[in-house]
Amino acid sequence: MSQWTILLVDDEEDIRLVVGMALRDMGYDVLEAENGKEGLRLFRERHPPIVITDIKMPDIDGVDLLRKIKEEDPDTEVVMITGHGDMTVAIQSFQQEATDFITKPINVDDLEISLQRVHERIDARETLREYTRSLEKLVFKKSEELAHLEKRLGDGGEATVQDVLQRFQSLFDDLPCYVAVMDEEMALTAINRKFRQDFGDRVGEVCYAVLKNASSPCSDCPVLMTFSSGTSQEGEAEITTLDGARHEVLVWTSPVRTTGEGTTHVLTLYTDMAQIQKVQDHLSSLGLMVGSVSHSIKGMLTGLDGGMYLLDSGLRRQNDEKIREGLGVVKEMVGRIRNMVLDVLLFSKDRDLKKEQAPVAAFAEDAARGIRALVEEHGIEFLLECPEEAGTFEVDTRLLRTALVNVLENAVDACLEDRDQASHRIAFRVRPEEDQVVFRVEDDGIGMDAETRDKMCTLFFSSKDRKGTGLGLYITDRTVRQHGGSLAVESEPGRGTAFDIRIPRSAAEPVPLEENGGCEGTP
Amino acid sequence: MAKKILVIDDEEAVVKYMKALFEDHGYEVIAATDGADALKVLDGTVPDLITLDLQMDKVWGPQFYRKMSKNPSLKEIPVIVVSGLARPELAIKKAAAVVGKPFDPDELIRIVREQIGE
Repeated sequence: MSQWTILLVDDEEDIRLVVGMALRDMGYDVLEAENGKEGLRLFRERHPPIVITDIKMPDIDGVDLLRKIKEEDPDTEVVMITGHGDMTVAIQSFQQEATDFITKPINVDDLEISLQRVHERIDARETLREYTRSLEKLVFKKSEELAHLEKRLGDGGEATVQDVLQRFQSLFDDLPCYVAVMDEEMALTAINRKFRQDFGDRVGEVCYAVLKNASSPCSDCPVLMTFSSGTSQEGEAEITTLDGARHEVLVWTSPVRTTGEGTTHVLTLYTDMAQIQKVQDHLSSLGLMVGSVSHSIKGMLTGLDGGMYLLDSGLRRQNDEKIREGLGVVKEMVGRIRNMVLDVLLFSKDRDLKKEQAPVAAFAEDAARGIRALVEEHGIEFLLECPEEAGTFEVDTRLLRTALVNVLENAVDACLEDRDQASHRIAFRVRPEEDQVVFRVEDDGIGMDAETRDKMCTLFFSSKDRKGTGLGLYITDRTVRQHGGSLAVESEPGRGTAFDIRIPRSAAEPVPLEENGGCEGTP
Repeated sequence: MAKKILVIDDEEAVVKYMKALFEDHGYEVIAATDGADALKVLDGTVPDLITLDLQMDKVWGPQFYRKMSKNPSLKEIPVIVVSGLARPELAIKKAAAVVGKPFDPDELIRIVREQIGE
């Protein structure tokens, strides 16, 4: 099963022809089916890793096909082709874990971008599997080798544990985790390269001093348990590397026995959970419709159920408060679901810009209007600074306005989240330059740390945000790049944030998506 | 005395829902909106059952479960995973039950009754 086989399912011959050609051009081996039944049959026969399917088809519709495919092989990446405005179908597709969404008429660039992401997902998943698999394999291998050694030592050898470990030093050094051996006093007798790099060459010192700067072992120390039980143990710990960084690690131990003496040493592996977590996060951040959005929608539908339940309960018991509470929840949930679906449709909409010459000052005023009501409601001071002679620029005013309003709304959220200050201020400054216009949005809200800044323009920034859909800044970044512009951010936790958006005055080449999917962290 | 359920979910509307649903069926409900808060709550109270969302901010579901099971007075409490994630049954192997979102309230009550009675 090569990464390069795609199954294309569409009842329209024209689409199969055009899309099929484009896919073959990109190097794919394309299987074609003209209806759902045929698609399913081909899928079962050839097991393509990627499927592109139309939603509206005469026999089995696209969502049904998606479900059946996911039942048989949940790792299959499925991209749905849809006509404009299929909101209900959008929700259904997310619930069935579709990977992405392309709208008709199909734009070959969109297709390429979707497929790029499909491949990133496949690769990230494979990496996670490999990492876990190789870790397990190595631990197993180590245990086996030690068992063999033990047997041989029992035959009269005088090798010490030290010699044994020396022989396997290179294998230990290759492991992407920390390995240490300690004796019954918990003193380190051997360490691997990664351990030495991050904790220093501290053989002879006790492990809890080296790993945690502590003066006594952890209360649930798996190493101590291994010494007393003679069996492998598992645990968790928080350790601090030489650079002061704290890491949460999973701890695996293996007893090292010397014949006639029981367990004299314990071999311990510490693996950084953040690594695994990071790969998982990366995987889900590439997950587009899957993961966050699908999960958020399920959360919101549950919330909606809740509102209805309260309403129903309130009506039955004639409890006014419950009725009011229920209605409030229903209103909020419906609003949020609507916003999310609209955002998602906007996200998968036709990506061609409709550019027109627009006066910059009027444009900025219009964008500012997008949050006037919001800042007034929350008592946030708002300043719009724009010179009258700012000239004109050639932009898709509707899309760019949305992009700027997203950033402005983000500033409002940042202020609201910052409980340390009672009052806040947002400044929207327009700086016209010869070839470009720079829009700057400053707030003195909660600010972002480096990790958040990195994730900012990827699809799952603030995906857990109550009000957000997680797509806002992604859409902003994409719109800005389509205009050939750039987005940069300065931010400090507790101090505030400033966004700088540069838009060229006249048509410029769109800027491609960065490899890591985020916008620039610093200007 | 009413049986106590600890509801852990970061979505306020879901907490409201489950609180109303469980209280209507005679249970007492305490809530936490994050794994970290939940652990603090558990310092003071021992519930009869816990419903657990998986994706939360500071301390997420599986991490919460691992920390909780280290405490001998807490590890026997049945945990029902309630999540919108794709394969929630894979997250916590020792969960007493796993329920997807959105859930059927009658089904959820049935499962709760199965675990701790009325």
